[in-house]
Amino acid sequence: MEQTLHQKEIRRDNPVARKILHIVIYIVLTALALFTLIPFVWMLSSSLKLDREVFAYPMKWIPETIRWENYALIWQKVPLLTYFKNTAFIAIVVTFLQTLTSSFAAYAFAKLEFRGRDTLFLCYIATIAVPWQAYMLPQFIMMRSMGLYDTLWAMVVLQAFSAFGVFLMRQFYRSIPTELCEAARLDGLSEYGIWARIMLPLSKAAIATLVIFTFVSTWNDYMGPMIYLTRDANKTIQVGLRRFIQENSSDYHLIMAASLCSLLPVSIVFLCLQKYFIEGIATSGLKG
Amino acid sequence: MKKLLSVVLAAMMLLSLLSVPALAEDQVLKVVTWDATTTPYLIAQKEAYEASHPGVTIEYVDVASQDYGIKSTTMLEGGDASDVFMVKEIDDIIKWQAQGFAEPLNAYVEKTGYDLSGFVGTEKNYCVEDELYAVPFRSDFWVLFYNKDLFDAAGIEYPTNDMTWDEYAEKAIALTKDGVYGTHYHTWLSAVANWTVADGVNTLADKNYDDLLYFYQLYQKLEDAGACMAYAELKASGLHYSAAFANGNIAMMPMGYWYVSTLIGYNKDGTCSFNWGITAVPHADGVAAGSSFGNLTGAMINKNSANKDLAWDYISWLGGEEGAAATASVGARPAFVSENVAGAMSAVEGFPTDETSKGALIPSFVGMEWPVAEKVADIKTIVNEEHTMIMAREITPEEGIEEMNERVAELFE
Amino acid sequence: MSRAEKKRTLIAYSFLAPNFLGFAIFTLVPVVCAIALSFFEWNGGDISRLKFVGFDNYATIFNVKKVSQNGLAYFFNRVDLGISLKNTIFYTLITVPLTIVCALALALLLNKIRGAVAYRTIFFFPYVASMVAICVCWSFMLMKDGPINQFIQAIGIPFNKSWTADSAMAIWAIILVSVWRNMGYYMVIYLAALQGVPRELLEAATVDGAGKWKQFIHVTLPQLRPTTFFVSIMMIISCFKIYDVVAIMTDGGPGRSTKMLVTYIYDEAFVKIRYGQASAISMILLVIVLVITIIQFRSEKKFSSD
Repeated sequence: MEQTLHQKEIRRDNPVARKILHIVIYIVLTALALFTLIPFVWMLSSSLKLDREVFAYPMKWIPETIRWENYALIWQKVPLLTYFKNTAFIAIVVTFLQTLTSSFAAYAFAKLEFRGRDTLFLCYIATIAVPWQAYMLPQFIMMRSMGLYDTLWAMVVLQAFSAFGVFLMRQFYRSIPTELCEAARLDGLSEYGIWARIMLPLSKAAIATLVIFTFVSTWNDYMGPMIYLTRDANKTIQVGLRRFIQENSSDYHLIMAASLCSLLPVSIVFLCLQKYFIEGIATSGLKG
Repeated sequence: MKKLLSVVLAAMMLLSLLSVPALAEDQVLKVVTWDATTTPYLIAQKEAYEASHPGVTIEYVDVASQDYGIKSTTMLEGGDASDVFMVKEIDDIIKWQAQGFAEPLNAYVEKTGYDLSGFVGTEKNYCVEDELYAVPFRSDFWVLFYNKDLFDAAGIEYPTNDMTWDEYAEKAIALTKDGVYGTHYHTWLSAVANWTVADGVNTLADKNYDDLLYFYQLYQKLEDAGACMAYAELKASGLHYSAAFANGNIAMMPMGYWYVSTLIGYNKDGTCSFNWGITAVPHADGVAAGSSFGNLTGAMINKNSANKDLAWDYISWLGGEEGAAATASVGARPAFVSENVAGAMSAVEGFPTDETSKGALIPSFVGMEWPVAEKVADIKTIVNEEHTMIMAREITPEEGIEEMNERVAELFE
Repeated sequence: MSRAEKKRTLIAYSFLAPNFLGFAIFTLVPVVCAIALSFFEWNGGDISRLKFVGFDNYATIFNVKKVSQNGLAYFFNRVDLGISLKNTIFYTLITVPLTIVCALALALLLNKIRGAVAYRTIFFFPYVASMVAICVCWSFMLMKDGPINQFIQAIGIPFNKSWTADSAMAIWAIILVSVWRNMGYYMVIYLAALQGVPRELLEAATVDGAGKWKQFIHVTLPQLRPTTFFVSIMMIISCFKIYDVVAIMTDGGPGRSTKMLVTYIYDEAFVKIRYGQASAISMILLVIVLVITIIQFRSEKKFSSD
């Protein structure tokens, strides 16, 4: 009795309480968003300064003279366009291969019974746990022997089959009710059919997530390209950025400008895909 | 297990050797180095060598300077066949020799009658058991840079080539006033405490660090007086010394000779416009004026190179008088020392014209920043870790030095 | 094995094959080499220099001789491995829960509100930006008179030093940057997972009279369990492997106050060229992460069979 009363009270107050709650949420979010953006404002401001002004102390948020020419300079000082092209090539191919193969493999791990499944899966996770620095050398020697050293394909094969994607997709697939697969099997669908016609359409949100992560991490990878890519024609943006830091001088204003430029493509990918986070499987009316 | 592992690795290595294309005919010499497109002496050397050796092309393999150690070593481990690797730190060559990547050079020296006397003994740092493994071509020692305009404005006499650390500290404090710092220490150990090796007796690997105390105390005195930027802020902001001095509010700065070419470049492109000069670094009481410490840069021949004779021709040229002239022509200091070379260095456009600066070009003694010694890489880590603790004032200099002594002693137990 | 079982296994393998082949060649084989290497002494170069030393590398990194004389306190205060383990574990213990809470909170807040696109993009931004730029920027913001210190002084905390140059605060600087950078990343995972919480379940809970909080605890959270499993394992692993933030912001300093396992591995492998010892340290990391994973894996299985 008491509970229903209480509930009624809430219902009655709902519109106002809701509004206040929403306002509070927006205030909190906006404050957090501003906090998140501060470093980017600093990057933007630094990218419009002279190098020696970047570290001038106390810091100035608005440069004395705004040097837009820094954004032109970065393309002249290093072959940034080539770096962009290389990075885009690697990121796109890796993302495609990664998404395809790992959603395929994840289906086996999540929905099929076979011997050695758990051991194999632990194997996958275990390799994530070994820091790359530890097995970089054997890997490098091997890649050289395959003739992949200093080719963009080296980066592709290194990153396209990572255990991360399999793990991520497996976890998403596990939250899809097994009854669906069972029903499809009874309807005579093959496992491949289930994967293509049921799992894939239901995991749009997961795929969008994986695409974004793979794209971003490939785009921002530094150590891999640093070791494997040597010729200037093969370098990626992150490696190229370091060319602004030299033994006896540094151009942090240019690093900031180039970093902001390299943010753009990734942000576009994110913006294009993020609608899938709201249009996930919730709309398809599943039972729990 | 060992067998299996070695079979796998050996197979990989073998394959990697087979896949290396022969370079012998096209006369292209691949040289692995850092900052190749922007370092003036590398550009000058390439031009001069190619001009005097028609039909040979130098192809630089460019690596970012801060990754040079890991990248070059990985390349060698993977069986890379680039002909020449430049040697950034002295212990690189010791490591590469131990790993069997460096071609021994004594036979080449004998065969071509190469004269090593111009290196005044510095080439010994590249020797293991009397066998030479690399040829030095750049020898940077530390000098004191100063901003003449700030001295003029304060009415204080310029520093000289014969000045003690105490006199230097007095000047630094006298020059300090609103917005102007008397001196500037970069965050490195070398900028603050390496001076102890300038006496030719101490080294940083001698297991006793009591001699660093004087320099840490001197530093802290200056920091307390506000005569230099505080280490904690400098470290946190990551301010680069090149930008700091170019800002024009720092009167003096001990720094490696390499900064000369940077400053000349700054003057040319308008980054800074004040007058500057160099002197020998100050000396401690009882140590000869003009004593300093420095570091070598050299070049070695890769054992995997298919072009060793040409590679030798190149590195011997690089270290010798002609290469030295090319190196000096842009304001870098070659390892090969002679009056001619010193003349060429001071004749560089943009080099300060006063006699003191010219006099600073030939030091009376140059100790090695880090000597070749057992476990020197471990010692380096320890000393640097305690250095950051002392500098951040987490511990006193006495405590830090005590820690250095203790931890280095533990290494050798 | 029955024929049907055989067929099922074969089908499963066909799903695994494309990924597994690439994975086995380019990751698994090198990792196995690295495991083997931890029992060898090798300073690189020719293979003939490989020397089998059994557990010597482990004895060296644990400094067994000294530690057995002086006790565990010595291990955690003086030995490189002990110090970096201590720092890494501390960092992980703080960063993982903090990031998960922030990420989940953001995801819940942003799940169904207007203007979410803009916020989501903003919170994801830090993850996208290049590491050098971010770290340089944060060091600067955490300086003595920087904006962060000004803020904490305004709320009454008397701290006025540069974070990265203070041995007590340096690790907090790294935690702060890590949480800031990663919360958007895990927020995205949670957002995607939240779409998988069937609306009917939530509606059923509302009809039953459950408040928002109860709904969250009894419906949303259990539904998110596979995701939380994934997020926590990935976070623990990536925290144990923390390298780049440390390398750029503090380089392990001041002293050894932010020395981490991977900074230590890097130093052993590429500065001191002791690949055997570097591999041995990695194995410790591997064992820790594996134990945590197996525990979590077990509990995941238990929950899903409930």
